[in-house]
Amino acid sequence: MAEKRKAMIKIKPKKFKVGDIVKVDFIVIHPMDTGMQKDKKTGKIKPAHYIDNITFSFDGKPFTTMKVWESISTNPYFSVNYKVTGKGKITVDYTDNQGEKNSKTKKVKPKD
Amino acid sequence: MERRKFIQSMFAVSAVAAVAVPSSLFAEEAKKEAQAPAKKGPNDMSFDEAVKTITDGKGAKESDKIELKVPEIAENGAVVPVKVNVDHPMDEKSHVKAIHVLNKGNGNARCADIMLTPANAKGYFATRVKLSKTQEVVALVELSDGTFIQTAKSVKVTIGGCG
Repeated sequence: MAEKRKAMIKIKPKKFKVGDIVKVDFIVIHPMDTGMQKDKKTGKIKPAHYIDNITFSFDGKPFTTMKVWESISTNPYFSVNYKVTGKGKITVDYTDNQGEKNSKTKKVKPKD
Repeated sequence: MERRKFIQSMFAVSAVAAVAVPSSLFAEEAKKEAQAPAKKGPNDMSFDEAVKTITDGKGAKESDKIELKVPEIAENGAVVPVKVNVDHPMDEKSHVKAIHVLNKGNGNARCADIMLTPANAKGYFATRVKLSKTQEVVALVELSDGTFIQTAKSVKVTIGGCG
């Protein structure tokens, strides 16, 4: 399962200045299996496979950390607020219970 | 004599039927109950347990500071949008430390724990959760002074979303 997952970071609104409060949305394509569903083709119970840790950081400084369980929907979406302090990069690192580690980066370019 | 025998046999049949039908029903129910524990997830936790572990036994107060946005009726239990807005300042001194999204009816009562910092500037969080049946969604908020507040809202689920 070393495939790279599709993930996306969206900053809303698109145009913002230093000092503005923006929404940071993080969406990732992930099955989020609970460990209770049956595979329709094989009839076997799928093992649990869900994201458990997420860290939002700006230039290496984490500003939000999350612990997540299997009750979150398939292809999860998380949204938090962030006050823009200047140019930099927002990075989201996430791990799941089967040991996958991935991260996604987005540049922050405030306009004055 | 024939009539007596006939009536007796009638009674016997009806008695057997009366006993046999419910027992088979009970058997089915017992089977379902026996299957239910096997269906449990690996990290199941009841709502009370979850609140205990989060608040360290302190418990939480009901508060109208938290705005919890969930749909009244969710047609698809697999995708229920949840929005939490906390009306609280976000300074270094007093800020929202954590938002916990919980449910009362799923196997695992904990959905997500979000640890916030003053850099977030607002106590806001949004996500989508799975709900297995009609139940209450709870937002439990930890403030920086160590107190806990909570708000609950019920969601009607038409089709469950947990397998």
